[in-house]
Amino acid sequence: MDYESQPYHVTAALVEWLLVIGAAALIALFVGGVVALFLAGRRAPALVFAALKRGFSDLTSLSVRRIGALARLTIQESLSRRTLLVLFVFVSLFAAGNLFLQSPGQDMPAKPFVSFVMTSIRWVLIPVALLLSCWGLPADIKSRSLHTVVTKPVHRSEIVIGRMLGYSLLTSFILFVVALLGLIWIQRVVPERSKPQLTARVPVYCDLEDFFFLDRNGQTGKGLNVGDMWEHRGFIEGQTKSRAVWIFEGVDESYLNDEGELRMEYSFEAFRSHKGRIDEGVRFRLHLVNEEKGLDVPYPQRGAGLEVQEFSGERAARKDQEKPIIDIPRELSRTVGLDEDGSKVDLFDDLVEDGKLRIELSCEDDGQYIGAANTDLFIRLADKPFAVGYFKAIFGLWLMVVLVCIIGTTASCFLKGPVATLLTFGLVILGHPMRSYMENQLQQLDEKGRVLGGGMLEACYRLVTQMNVQSPLPENDATRVIQYLDTHIFNGLKIAEFIIPNFKHFDMTVFVANGFDVPWMDAGAAIVPAILTVLGYLIPCVILGYFSLQLRELEAK
Amino acid sequence: MTAESVIQVRNLSKVYRDFWGRKKVQALNSLSLDVRKGEVFGLLGPNGSGKTTTLKLLLGLLFPTEGEVTVLGEPAHDVGKNERIGYLPEESYLYRFLNADETLDFYGKLFDMPAAQRKERRDALIKQVGLENARRRQLKEYSKGMTRRIGLAQALINNPELVLLDEPTSGLDPLGTRDMKDMILKLREEGKTVVMCSHLLADVQDVCDRIAILYAGELKVIGNVSELLQSNEETQLLTSTLKDDAVKEIEEVLKKHGAQLKNVSHPTTTLEELFLKTVKESRERPGRRFAPGEAPGQDKSGAV
Repeated sequence: MDYESQPYHVTAALVEWLLVIGAAALIALFVGGVVALFLAGRRAPALVFAALKRGFSDLTSLSVRRIGALARLTIQESLSRRTLLVLFVFVSLFAAGNLFLQSPGQDMPAKPFVSFVMTSIRWVLIPVALLLSCWGLPADIKSRSLHTVVTKPVHRSEIVIGRMLGYSLLTSFILFVVALLGLIWIQRVVPERSKPQLTARVPVYCDLEDFFFLDRNGQTGKGLNVGDMWEHRGFIEGQTKSRAVWIFEGVDESYLNDEGELRMEYSFEAFRSHKGRIDEGVRFRLHLVNEEKGLDVPYPQRGAGLEVQEFSGERAARKDQEKPIIDIPRELSRTVGLDEDGSKVDLFDDLVEDGKLRIELSCEDDGQYIGAANTDLFIRLADKPFAVGYFKAIFGLWLMVVLVCIIGTTASCFLKGPVATLLTFGLVILGHPMRSYMENQLQQLDEKGRVLGGGMLEACYRLVTQMNVQSPLPENDATRVIQYLDTHIFNGLKIAEFIIPNFKHFDMTVFVANGFDVPWMDAGAAIVPAILTVLGYLIPCVILGYFSLQLRELEAK
Repeated sequence: MTAESVIQVRNLSKVYRDFWGRKKVQALNSLSLDVRKGEVFGLLGPNGSGKTTTLKLLLGLLFPTEGEVTVLGEPAHDVGKNERIGYLPEESYLYRFLNADETLDFYGKLFDMPAAQRKERRDALIKQVGLENARRRQLKEYSKGMTRRIGLAQALINNPELVLLDEPTSGLDPLGTRDMKDMILKLREEGKTVVMCSHLLADVQDVCDRIAILYAGELKVIGNVSELLQSNEETQLLTSTLKDDAVKEIEEVLKKHGAQLKNVSHPTTTLEELFLKTVKESRERPGRRFAPGEAPGQDKSGAV
């Protein structure tokens, strides 16, 4: 599993959220003030103040009964549109998956089945949530049914929240049913020999900043690049002082398993610079190091070391024979090959210092290389049942669907159905499948803050003048204006990046499909960031939806 | 606001504009009027005269271009005033997938009414509007008349002080119309204020205490119905049937007083009255048919 564990900083996220919300509120206030000034002249400040005061009052005096009634109405309305027929779509998909999904020769035979269920749920339920939430309110306004609601003592905020709640509850019910069906389906279709993979491993990774390499002279440096690596993976050279180093924090005796051992799991890569002993893997050894006490305890303690295979097919073939698991006993010999009555060290008394355990990886074969990233070695706590990880991932999907309902409902407060659908769909696409692409594109500024390779206007200029992209732009006022505007358009897009929701937080498929538990905290997909993301959008969306309904004539079609 | 005014409208104007802000139509032009507590007030006018626009401005569904609207002492956009208002829209804008019970329960919840109170009001109103036998049917299966009835029931769910009715008799058969008018009169008896807009003049005349006539968004006439319709140029006497000699004698007397007998005829009833009597007669005596020229309630001489 190519996965990069990164810490999630709640405080930093909260500060960023406050800054974005504050800036958006100031812009909205300014625009509202200008519009009021244009329409009402000198009465504008009083009108803006009255609108804000009324808004505060409406948003803080909500009735649970009214919201419940509106949510129930939303559900009944959706059911009258035969929304539950979507369940048959899932049944059909699972039936088709039963016929066509196969997994011969894969590292993880259970993975395609789990991925299929999660992907099906995501890409069928999101359009349902999107269409329901984007069309409900505009249809209500168009048919004027909303007239009979807003002429009752109902705050616009209650309408917005009731709608959001109704769609969320309905899609939650569908998701729950489909998730149960999916779990039963997975248990039935995964081959018996692959059933052990249906588990939820609980890994403890070291932080990214606590993972580094030592070069062939034993100095801190970078891992070698053998041409097959991602950002944080590097290779170490065999029979040198080159090592990959992990420092695990917060290690204590609760990490030991029932046998009193510290279980670790690895997924290193091998690279051969010569053929060597081709019938064997490339050998490596782990070292438990305490620099303060000058201890360097190798593991395994006997033999030539552990092996890692070069190709995934070989790894898959060896899977049945040997799992990539290391159980480190609490009591270890100080060095390789010493008799048992020689000096002993205790894992926690001697090797763990202030909760920190330093583990180094060395390659034992001369001229061969072992590749590692920070997530390639982790402490494996007691496994949880597969259903735990599965339902945590489903919870992530649920949060995603809820967020789609929130955004769709908000958009429908000020846009007609088709436009609201287009907007919400665009945000979902930019927020999930195209998120990484967007983030990459928006990092391409040079040291002067100019867009690398030129921006939109520069591209137009080059097209019109038939100028090669390698040719430097001529230095004149026109090109300076073009570059200036390009930079600011680019900065505008960077601001938009903060507004577009990061749906990557919700896609936890990679964990459950690879037999891992879903983490609570991580900068990628994890439960807490996903919950905070939904809350982060819920509050401004309710406010935006409220003012959109409050400041528009609901009579207007 | 005067002591008795429930609605106060001052210099109210409304301009509908297109997407670019260009003026499309001036729906109301400097309208000023008051509606007093406990009266049935009628807004009259041809199509497009601004009746419904006025109602929607009163309800806060539209924003005035100019002028002020006060309803029950509060600005029109104030949500709190809706606690004391009932509104029957022109068309059936209710949720068609709900049945009558669900509809009234839903609107009761919007008034934050507890379950017991909702049930009590629901049962009473369904009985009042005569939908006991259709309370479990979805509204999409209702006839136009039934929909108007459930519409009125939802408007009364909160026992409002002020009831706004937009074309309340529109689409109803004469029986339904009569029931609706009876209900409006009953609301007045209960001390509620009713504002209705309609272009069915006979209905308005039957139930309204005061009327305002709008034309092209402007107020043309406002006043008591009886005063506005009264003709001071003529006097009408209604007697039992007279013989020709008696008529001649009366004519002589009138001449002596300088007056002139303009018309002598048997008064006619309204078509609505005739229809209602026919239906009533048919219910009481099924199978009875009237001879050509005969009508229920007439004696053999043809007098009503």
